[in-house]
Amino acid sequence: MTKRSRSVLALAAGLAAGLACAAARADDKVLIIGDQCDRTGPTQIVGTVLCPAMQDYYRLINSKGGIDGWTIKADEIDNAYKVPEAIEAYERQKQMGALLMTFYGTPQTVALNQRLEQDKIPTTSPGFGISAAADGKRFPYLFPIAATYWSQAAAAVKFAKDQLGGSLKGKKIAYIYYDNPAGKEAMPILEALQKQEGYELRTFAVPPPGVEMGAQIIDVTQRFRPDFVIMHLFGRSPSVAIKGLKGAGFPLKKVVGLVWASAEADILAAGGWATAEGYNTLQFAGAGDDYPVRGEIKAMYKKDGKDPPKEMADTVVYNRGLLQASIQVEALRNALKISGGQKPTTEQVKQGMEQIKDFTLGGLVPPLQITADDHEGGGWVRIFSVKGGKFAAATDWFKAYRDVVEHAVKTAE
Amino acid sequence: MFHREAGVFKTSYAADMALYPLPIARWTVAVLAGLFIVVAPLALGTYPLSILNLVLIAVVGALGLNILVGYSGQISIGTGAFMSVGAYTAANLITHLHAPFWLAVPAGGLMAALIGAIVGIPSLRIKGIYLAIATLAAQLIIEWTINHVQAISGGVQASITIPRPTVFGMALKSEAQIYCFLMFFVVLALVATLNLVRSRIGRAFVAIRDQDIAAEIIGINIFRYKLYAFAISSFFAGVTGVLESYYLGIANYEQFQIDVSIDYLAMVIIGGLGSVLGSVFGAIFVTLLPIVTRLFLEQFGSILLPGADLLNVIPNLRLVIFGGLIIFFLVVEPEGLNRLWRNIRNYFRVWPFSY
Amino acid sequence: MPEFDLQFTLYLLTNGVMIGLMYALIALGFVLIYKATDAINFAQGEFVMFAGFIAAGTAELIHAPFWIAALLAIGGMIALGFALERVVLRPLIGRPVIAVVMATIGLAAVLRGGAVLAFGAGTRNIEMPIPDDPIPLGPVTLPPIEVVGAGVSLVFLAGFTWFFLKSRTGIAMRAVADSQQVAMAMGINVRRYFAFAWAMAGIVSALGGIVWGALIGVDNQLALVGLKVFPVVILGGLDSVIGAVVGGLIVGIVENLAAGYFDPLVGGGTKDFVPYLLMIIVLMVRPEGIFGRRRIERV
Repeated sequence: MTKRSRSVLALAAGLAAGLACAAARADDKVLIIGDQCDRTGPTQIVGTVLCPAMQDYYRLINSKGGIDGWTIKADEIDNAYKVPEAIEAYERQKQMGALLMTFYGTPQTVALNQRLEQDKIPTTSPGFGISAAADGKRFPYLFPIAATYWSQAAAAVKFAKDQLGGSLKGKKIAYIYYDNPAGKEAMPILEALQKQEGYELRTFAVPPPGVEMGAQIIDVTQRFRPDFVIMHLFGRSPSVAIKGLKGAGFPLKKVVGLVWASAEADILAAGGWATAEGYNTLQFAGAGDDYPVRGEIKAMYKKDGKDPPKEMADTVVYNRGLLQASIQVEALRNALKISGGQKPTTEQVKQGMEQIKDFTLGGLVPPLQITADDHEGGGWVRIFSVKGGKFAAATDWFKAYRDVVEHAVKTAE
Repeated sequence: MFHREAGVFKTSYAADMALYPLPIARWTVAVLAGLFIVVAPLALGTYPLSILNLVLIAVVGALGLNILVGYSGQISIGTGAFMSVGAYTAANLITHLHAPFWLAVPAGGLMAALIGAIVGIPSLRIKGIYLAIATLAAQLIIEWTINHVQAISGGVQASITIPRPTVFGMALKSEAQIYCFLMFFVVLALVATLNLVRSRIGRAFVAIRDQDIAAEIIGINIFRYKLYAFAISSFFAGVTGVLESYYLGIANYEQFQIDVSIDYLAMVIIGGLGSVLGSVFGAIFVTLLPIVTRLFLEQFGSILLPGADLLNVIPNLRLVIFGGLIIFFLVVEPEGLNRLWRNIRNYFRVWPFSY
Repeated sequence: MPEFDLQFTLYLLTNGVMIGLMYALIALGFVLIYKATDAINFAQGEFVMFAGFIAAGTAELIHAPFWIAALLAIGGMIALGFALERVVLRPLIGRPVIAVVMATIGLAAVLRGGAVLAFGAGTRNIEMPIPDDPIPLGPVTLPPIEVVGAGVSLVFLAGFTWFFLKSRTGIAMRAVADSQQVAMAMGINVRRYFAFAWAMAGIVSALGGIVWGALIGVDNQLALVGLKVFPVVILGGLDSVIGAVVGGLIVGIVENLAAGYFDPLVGGGTKDFVPYLLMIIVLMVRPEGIFGRRRIERV
């Protein structure tokens, strides 16, 4: 055997030893949550903030004595936005005994849904996955818990209507979208509302990764000249679009970005707050720093003698993580009530999830009401606009055109 | 395999070409096969089985890619796209015509073979890096087509849900059942590849790989055989796509993007180019690598890297290890895991009298 | 077909030219490596990304002014180029093309993970000391950052053309590319010029990273601009410096016209797709590209 073969063997032996020790340890009063995340894949720009926020919230709850004495153990696995990784993560967390899960990524959510129904594990998928999953009857274990792309599109149209003086008749709306399934998903709603409201809609595709979109910007600003722009972009592309529209002299207060085009990182990469002044963002969790729970987390870090993590500066995505984690915790809290203090079953956690209402976390969470029929919780959004170096609320929580959205949910294939 | 031979004297060509020349080799293979085919699904839990299922799917794809890259010397960065061709073909057949699996799997493979042969046409004129880039273009063009032609993709979501396969009237629900289903195709693929590479076609592939102009001079129609290589390899990729879609219950092009093509390339390179056993090793290695590194770092990470934010470090370190190992193998052990295995075996064959 | 609009088309063309020159900046690094060492660098996008990370990271961590950060990025990339050549590429000399392709793919993963481990995952900005307001030029306006990028690209074009034609080092590098064995026999230190080529590619990538990073922000998504390299270099010819620039221009213009005139017809983004289609056609008709050198193969 050659020398290098031997060193490789030694390495393998070391790894195997590590594996042997990796037996799961179980505690008594522990509730396990399985989270998937993307910290290295194409959406890491979101994952690297969202997932730490969730971990911070669980830690906060545990530091305050857990949920009625039960400790939360959150297992996080990076799926790198790949489906096989997501399957492995799911099976591992199922084996650990996860009562509740979070998926990350649309294809992953779609692929795992079949297993959920087989294993009956309730799972949250805020901001991605299938819009039709708002229907709790057809997707019993999938909880979007936040406004789906359909609800977001409807709300964006409503916002445009209010901004343009109450009527969209004869107005021109441009829809700039990421040219993938998620980007195209909002289109049926925009087309349905086009008939109802009488606006002219034109769509502009941005092929992934969308790091360059000069031609689309020129097309929008020089040829179509819309009255309002709705942007549904992901990753690096929102900032490129903001910068481009600004550079072409288009007024950013006539632009609204759906939820993945609306974080601090997008504003900063677009050239900073001054550049993006006026830009409107659609949010399903409150943006900004003025929520008591963020104060508690900072206090928790201070007690450990640490500075608050820099992820907190990206308030939009961080707060979404808080929303998701807090709703999971509430579901577990409700489930413990249902089970009478025993360790709840996944079915009881599902019921607990379907009882969530009047839980606002100091204004960070919209007035959700999740029921057995409506896993979206109403489709609430709120517009925050870039104003004087931060996101300022431009509207209250609202939902729009529910009849159109619900019709789409019902008739979805 | 785990035996030492002595006094082997081959007296006929048939004996020389036999896959397992010794009775004891046949026995070890039989025992191994029995272990994996019968014992594993009965003895293992759902989680290990789900990992094994991912490995099995990868084995089929890696075998196919190795036929193209390892045996024929053509480069393809389009495996992911051929997988999606197979997946969508099968998904459409299943949803519209309720095709059973024994129809859907070969149909997906054949469609992928057809598209693969078309993509292989440029290989007549171009090779090496140019061919690699042409297949990269094919990957992007196929992705684009599926994304935009709703007749193929079945709607804006571009994902088609398919039910689990039904065998003898029984839907395969559990991981163990799916395991047996996948194992059937893996065995089929292994036997097919082992025999293919010993056949006239396989030898022509190797001749083209080693020196294509020379191969042409000795009378091999290189254009035809290059197309065969692309078609056969894409057939395997298509079948892999169908199997993965069956396993996941969904066909979705976003799960067959360029990173998948790269993972499969990594499998054949780490496993060993031009080696069947190497493909298996590579598939196991690349599938398990992220899982094992994560488990390892979760256990020992806090000792090795005190004070680090492990949840952030682990996935990135995993990426570094993945890339680093590819480079390591290329630089240090270019013939891959297969060579490593042979070294170990040869060491023990004459052990303890190594000199 | 949407009606032809002169002003609109002019806008598309200018944008195509500017962006095309910015693509050329990335492609130049690729061509340099191929020309001098025959290696294909699939990690070119990651090179650019890594340079961006160094520039933005140092600016943030040690509050370095832009020029210092830029110099650090250039220095860092030169060091990286030398190191990679020594550790990764040199052992692969003489090995099949797939080995080098795969090694650079592995390198890409290492750089993507490593950059985040070293500098953190957040998106950063590179603040260039140039004004933000678009520069008017006749009927169209040009974003200043793209003007800088295009300028750098043209300077490199001129510089490298001179370098390969006239300078001693450049001629030696061409000799090495032509035939390593003959070059060695003529007393050229092949290894030294390989290292030199990687370091030069590092410089080009550093400037590419700074310009692109200033344009779209720095995080590991920046690496995705690397995918644009392939149509550019295939069109222009893998081993041609002028080809990289011309290829960049063609890709920039074609994709802008495609986005302006095809997208409305097919209802989807054709921008990334058309250059690849064009590339396949070129591969079938003239595999060596417009300016590439045809290689004659012998048994």
